[in-house]
Amino acid sequence: MTIPPDSLTERLRAWRVSPPADSAFRPQVWARLRRSAHDTWADYLRPHAVVWLFTAIAACGIAAYTGRTAAVIRARMDREVLVSTYLVALDPRVQAGLLSIQP
Amino acid sequence: MKYLVSTLALIVLGAAIFGFVCYRLSCDSALHAAAEKGDAWHWLRQDFHLTDQQFAAIQVVHQAYAGSCVEHCRLIQEATKVRDALTAKTSSPGPRAAAELAVKELRSVCEQALTVHVQKVAALMAAEDGRRYLALMLPKIAAFDHATAPDLQMNHTH
Repeated sequence: MTIPPDSLTERLRAWRVSPPADSAFRPQVWARLRRSAHDTWADYLRPHAVVWLFTAIAACGIAAYTGRTAAVIRARMDREVLVSTYLVALDPRVQAGLLSIQP
Repeated sequence: MKYLVSTLALIVLGAAIFGFVCYRLSCDSALHAAAEKGDAWHWLRQDFHLTDQQFAAIQVVHQAYAGSCVEHCRLIQEATKVRDALTAKTSSPGPRAAAELAVKELRSVCEQALTVHVQKVAALMAAEDGRRYLALMLPKIAAFDHATAPDLQMNHTH
């Protein structure tokens, strides 16, 4: 039994692609490169405005939270120092030199 | 690419400045100044919103307490000396345990006296400030963890 010739294989073998040459392609690429070289910051930002706005808001939010938390921690530490200073002056146990609770 | 880096740098810088401004606005500068100077009286007056009358009354209570504080201090020092002398001389555990017990009892008396004192001071403040004052003081008195305060002079006595 003989295998019939595969018509698809034959067709693919014979297939040739010959696209028409785009004479404007090269000048268009150069023009685009030249244009991008003269882009301003605003030109860059305009298409990415939403992303950058969201980033800026998030960064400011994180910074504000961090700043506030740092201030709260500092106040807590300051208060701790002051309470100790205040109690040291009042506590006879400290004045008498007892420095820790003994079992 | 350069605009991406510049934009990112600008946002980071702006956020850092904003964070610093938030920090400065949230800071309690009076509290920090009092902590730096170790001025507990100034802090007490500011932090617990004391009026001139309240402040004067608290100073009177403090003066009255100072006498018993001196006496308690003297008693603890004497009891500690006795205990240390017994520890050095005696090997039998009975007298040493009794001396140790005497120091403990005196310490307990001091703790109670100090607790009563801060309760009296709290009673002279506005209700909310008094509650806050007690919440700060009582745990420290009970835990006795203020003995290692940064400005503690170890050999100071009245």
